Amino acid sequence: MGFKTSFRGVSLPPQKVSNPAIEDAPLPKKVVLPLGQSENRVCKPVVEVGEHVKTGQLIGQSDDFLVAPVHSSVSGTVTEIRPWSDLSGNKMPSVIVESDGNDSWLEEIRAHEDFSDKESAQLLPDVKAAGVVETGPPSMPLHAKFTKPEPSKEFQFLVGIPQSKPVDTVIINGIDAEPGMAAKGAVLTKYSSEIADGIRILQKLIGSAQMVLAVGSNGSVSSPLSGELAGLGVQVFQGKDKYPLGLNPILIKCVTGREIPLPDGTEQDIGVAVVDAVTLVHLVEAVRDLKPQVDKIVSVSGAGITAVKNYKVRLGTLVQDLVEQLAGLQGDPVKVIAGGAMTGVALFSTDIPVTKEIDALIFQTAAEAKSFSPDACINCGLCVRHCPSRLLPNELSKYCEFSMFEEARDKYLLHCIECGICAYVCPEKRPMLHLMRYGKRELSLA
Amino acid sequence: MEKATSLEKPILRVSVAPHIQQKITTSHLMYNTLIALVPALLAGIYFFGFASLKLALICMATAVACEAGMQGVMGRKLTIKNGSSLVLGLLFALICSPELPWWTAVLGVAVAVILGRGIYGGLGNNPFNAVLVGWAVMKISFAAQMATWIMPEPLFGLEAGGYIEYPPLEVLRLDGVDALLDLPWRDLFIGNVPGAIGTVCVAAVLIGGIYLLARRIITWHIPVSFLASAWLFGLIFWLIDPEVYANPTIYLLSGWMVLGAFFLATDKGTVPVTAPGMIIFGIGCGVITMIIRYWGGFVDGVAFAILLMNALTPLLDRVRPRVYGRVKQVA
Repeated sequence: MGFKTSFRGVSLPPQKVSNPAIEDAPLPKKVVLPLGQSENRVCKPVVEVGEHVKTGQLIGQSDDFLVAPVHSSVSGTVTEIRPWSDLSGNKMPSVIVESDGNDSWLEEIRAHEDFSDKESAQLLPDVKAAGVVETGPPSMPLHAKFTKPEPSKEFQFLVGIPQSKPVDTVIINGIDAEPGMAAKGAVLTKYSSEIADGIRILQKLIGSAQMVLAVGSNGSVSSPLSGELAGLGVQVFQGKDKYPLGLNPILIKCVTGREIPLPDGTEQDIGVAVVDAVTLVHLVEAVRDLKPQVDKIVSVSGAGITAVKNYKVRLGTLVQDLVEQLAGLQGDPVKVIAGGAMTGVALFSTDIPVTKEIDALIFQTAAEAKSFSPDACINCGLCVRHCPSRLLPNELSKYCEFSMFEEARDKYLLHCIECGICAYVCPEKRPMLHLMRYGKRELSLA
Repeated sequence: MEKATSLEKPILRVSVAPHIQQKITTSHLMYNTLIALVPALLAGIYFFGFASLKLALICMATAVACEAGMQGVMGRKLTIKNGSSLVLGLLFALICSPELPWWTAVLGVAVAVILGRGIYGGLGNNPFNAVLVGWAVMKISFAAQMATWIMPEPLFGLEAGGYIEYPPLEVLRLDGVDALLDLPWRDLFIGNVPGAIGTVCVAAVLIGGIYLLARRIITWHIPVSFLASAWLFGLIFWLIDPEVYANPTIYLLSGWMVLGAFFLATDKGTVPVTAPGMIIFGIGCGVITMIIRYWGGFVDGVAFAILLMNALTPLLDRVRPRVYGRVKQVA
């Protein structure tokens, strides 16, 4: 398969987390486990207050196909089940577990189950049961990527053809997209046997699909892994150091030459599945070890913290507790960002649990923290020059600023992939990405 | 923020993504443009003496004062520090004769800042190039004062080029092609001819333009398509009848052509932002310039070509590459 590498974008400052090591974060005293990924996709709790749970025990599940089950990430006692604020301030029903410090696991979790003679139909329930979630955006349970829900009956009656397209290309995304993210590169070096196993599992799940491992310019494939990859028929895509190559729409375009049909399409519509390298490791643990996802690799960086490293953090650990355990704040961190520096969310409180969607935490000092200005656009065209979606962000931002959302939609606002480059390059420091998201939100409510 | 080592009750700053920004600001763009104009100004001083510097300073001071006054009256944020009015003032001086009376310069710059830009909402929101609006008003209202040309008198080194007594384009218009046969192209290139302060020395303007390209303040689309289309258009007519139409390179090296292509036709806000739009814009500028030079009522067509194409900018912005993920609607 021939790869393309030309797309519009920018060169960002280099990653701050250069150490490829992954350390285990200390066991938290308390975890807060949200029972869902979004407001309308929430599990029902299957434990009661006062009950003793073990690590890996199921505490919430749902019949909804798009909701991943939730497991306890420590052993201890359920003290409360109550709403807890998530990243964006929505109250999410959450199970709070006080740890007993023993970290005793459920017995059925055993290492190295032989999956080689299992069939795809047997593997998928394991993936679903483990509650592995793609980091996103949009974050969705991993099993949903490989099984498309049945199209609605009336539509099938009208067209008479099945809509789902078989996946023919699987891209394993090992590119750390934004500054502050380093987990994927670290996983490629530290968990190379898991990556190879993961590819075997994906081949079982999907059948005959071309596998492509995408690595960044600084990420490299170690020699034992590269040999194994060649044996498995996996192509390696070496990307250049240019944002937003790590974002799925652009990565798919570079690897396959196809574009996701926006605004409503997904990667499944063009027969592509992108799997995060970190998620792949969790997939292996789910299938091989029958171990549910109870932790997440988080890159911690920024001038406001001394411990610039990748940590394996138990899900539900509050950012506040994590900071206290790492005990490495310095300077005056004024902004804490969950996610990468380009698209991450600035936290309004440190009482936010680490969830399956968070892959980086950045602690910015006052000198680093940027702000936006309300000044008018000067039509310099820098955003147009760099927009990977080939939009006119200058025009769109003005439409959204003055509530002309319908006009913005006619000018392809919904094709924006929210990479944030327009706001990064804007010489007037306008909140471009915010205006785009605002416009999209208003249109979705209309 | 309390003691940072505990993060116990932190007051966190919440802002929207992204959390890093490029260092380039509007001032960066403007001051780099200003730096790029310095060689042209130095060349003007070299050929026409310190009257050029005086005129440039008058224009820049007037521009800043008008901008500040305008923003004060309108109750808007003062943005004179970003350097955009300095660029406007200097550009205005560079396209004028060194002999221009000071009051004409002040009036022209005031028109440019207030009527050309301020009333539309300031930098980047004016439909027409503000410098050219000011210049065009003065050109039509005070035609005599705007057309007083002096001979170049290099401060040192070179001998004064005495081949022609008017700017080359006027000579072409008045005396025909034969009058320029003796004029060495070297004089045209280094600016040893009568003309406006900043436009005579093509070499100095080119240095500034290449600086802008190298600093990525402008892209190649407009200058290259402007100059190439003007040259090719001129070439066609030169080949048809060299008795009537001069060598296209003379047209390229005389008048405002190079300054217009690099500085006036790339003015932010009045030109298209998409690559195909910019190329069409440049071609339009080049062709209209040559049409006015050949058959128009004005000797140099650059200003009116750019103003005409400015009017087309909103349309040209519709000429754009295909958006990512756009699929044809299936009925």
